Amino acid sequence: MNYLQELEAEAIYVFREIAAQFKKPVLLFSGGKDSTLLIHLAAKAFYPMSIPFPVMHVDTGHNFEEALRFRDQLVQQKGLKLIVRKVEDSIIKYGIEEPVEKLPSRNVLQSITLMDAIREFGFDACIGSGRRDEEKARAKERFFSVRDKEGKWQPYNQKPELWNIYNGYIDEGENMRVFPISNWTEMDVWQYIRQENIALPSLYFSHERSCIVHNGRLIAVSEYIKIDDEDIRLTENVRYRTVGDMTCTAAIKSDARTIDEVIREIETSNISERGETRIDDQLSDAAMEDRKLQGYF
Amino acid sequence: MELLRFTTAGSIDDGKSTLTGRLLYDTGNIKDDVLESVSKVGNTINLAHITDGLRSERAGGITIDIGYRYFKTNNRKYIISDAPGHFQYTKNMVTGASNVDVMIILVDARNGITSQTRLHSLVASFLRTRYVVVAINKMDALAYAEDVFESTRIEYRSIAEKLQLRDVIFIPISALHGDNVSAHSENMPWYNGPDLLSFLEQCDTQKTANGPGRLSIQYTAEDESTGRTLYFGKVLSVEIHKGERLTVFPSGNEVLIEKYISGYEELETAKAGENICLELNTNDGVKRGSILAPLTHSPQCTKHLTADICWLDPEIDCDQNKEFILRINTQESICRFRDIEYRINPFSFDKERVAGLKVNEVASVIIETEIPIAYDNYDVCPENARGIIIDPATHNTVAAIMIH
Repeated sequence: MNYLQELEAEAIYVFREIAAQFKKPVLLFSGGKDSTLLIHLAAKAFYPMSIPFPVMHVDTGHNFEEALRFRDQLVQQKGLKLIVRKVEDSIIKYGIEEPVEKLPSRNVLQSITLMDAIREFGFDACIGSGRRDEEKARAKERFFSVRDKEGKWQPYNQKPELWNIYNGYIDEGENMRVFPISNWTEMDVWQYIRQENIALPSLYFSHERSCIVHNGRLIAVSEYIKIDDEDIRLTENVRYRTVGDMTCTAAIKSDARTIDEVIREIETSNISERGETRIDDQLSDAAMEDRKLQGYF
Repeated sequence: MELLRFTTAGSIDDGKSTLTGRLLYDTGNIKDDVLESVSKVGNTINLAHITDGLRSERAGGITIDIGYRYFKTNNRKYIISDAPGHFQYTKNMVTGASNVDVMIILVDARNGITSQTRLHSLVASFLRTRYVVVAINKMDALAYAEDVFESTRIEYRSIAEKLQLRDVIFIPISALHGDNVSAHSENMPWYNGPDLLSFLEQCDTQKTANGPGRLSIQYTAEDESTGRTLYFGKVLSVEIHKGERLTVFPSGNEVLIEKYISGYEELETAKAGENICLELNTNDGVKRGSILAPLTHSPQCTKHLTADICWLDPEIDCDQNKEFILRINTQESICRFRDIEYRINPFSFDKERVAGLKVNEVASVIIETEIPIAYDNYDVCPENARGIIIDPATHNTVAAIMIH
């Protein structure tokens, strides 16, 4: 087997373990490239049957239109059941004060909405597209990662996980997060997308966009961010290397219009994927670890 | 392009994380923003910081749990599991080492072989790790002297022999300065072997594919469009053909594969490692956990098995009156420990009788299961010869077993 076949086989095996070991799994889907890859892998894992669990989008309300459109198309095309739960509703329900920064991100609040949805539907496993290669806290996570009753990750008390034998036993109220593409790098994802001819939202390819420059990063002009007179608006050829939402993801200057061009661009880039694009990781040295401790994906 | 998985083991402060950082750095696999985020001492970057991802790890300068890192060269793709060295985190080290082709055991040249070197070697022996590279590190601190390397090598040879380690390679290195890591060091002209990266680039990763065919059933579901039962599973060894008559274990029934699907395609033959979907001529006695085998080559199928065990739980002992859950690939049964035949002394590696087992101990046990388990010896079919023990009360994975 070459490495892509090996990574694919590993992911498919994990998907089948999820279906066999859990009563009510859900796949977390945002319309981004990694969760799109998950849907394609799941479809392959269960063919000729359809995917035996629903997908859920935890919606910050600050989405890129293109990602939402793509999400709905893929769900329809694959005949999936889509659940959408909105951060907006959690804000109202709990009387949470909206963030008021220049880029008022609801990223951290997603954990509250996610945990509520887990309780509402009784999901015992949430399938996520986290990759160990993305971020240093994620690099520490198991394929099967237990969240306690409050949704917290316990990084200092993870279960042993040997070979491909996954222990899916959890207590009532606990929740498993499962990461089938743990061992994939950004480049592996793109190579596989090329190999399997997987469609992605247009955001991942070069397009013209009106942006402001904030802390050296290109942020798309939208109704969700606060723009004042001092901001300089630029129209640039950009693409997104990761897609969170419009308040937490930065665009990069790019002329890469095809998968091949994107792959070439990533190969020569001297900046990491999240380092280049994720504002939510820059809050502190352990921003991801902190969010994971609170129930984040 | 092939994938090679390796792990770094050794005592705390022997330089495991530094070596991982060095390999990533030398192969140009660290991006600028990641380099900027790690601390520096003067102009030297703290290479260990690249892999220590948790706040307490960075603060304390120790690795607590496995950190996975990825890099590639023109030849191969690599997955590194950077393992903790501290005794209490050995259970995490076992997790990281379970899937690797190569275990690099670092030895601080100034301290020589320590109790952790021995323990990690014992783990390599338990897991039957394909290659063990003994990297004698910090050679720079001893003026790159050959005699230190030689004496450590001689001492380790006797360990390797006693533990029956497979292929053992010795390399003198300085992870900090990069000697013999990704290029041959001019500081050690007396060393004629490969540098570490050259070894990793060239070592054989072929998994042996002898022995009889085995197919394990993972998940079953009904295809609503046809009303037929679909069996999702994996070929564990060699190959299994469409139309081949197979025996189902533990039920003993005979079945015929009528349809074979891998990915989106129908197949005639499926090979080891492939995830497949089957339609069978009968649904009798086939379920998750079933092993399908050729009529002429049955696995062992009993309620008693003798296995090597590595105990991984610090709180629960290997209590002979307690019920546990045994899982081998997808088979599962309630089980009890009937006897501890012997424990392997972690220092002398002698076999000795003990009353119970504690965390990080390797032993041989007799396990009695509630339902028959179909298993093989490691040499016949590795994937059907290894398992975990789960405590039904805490749901923790408390031990790993290997059937030799």
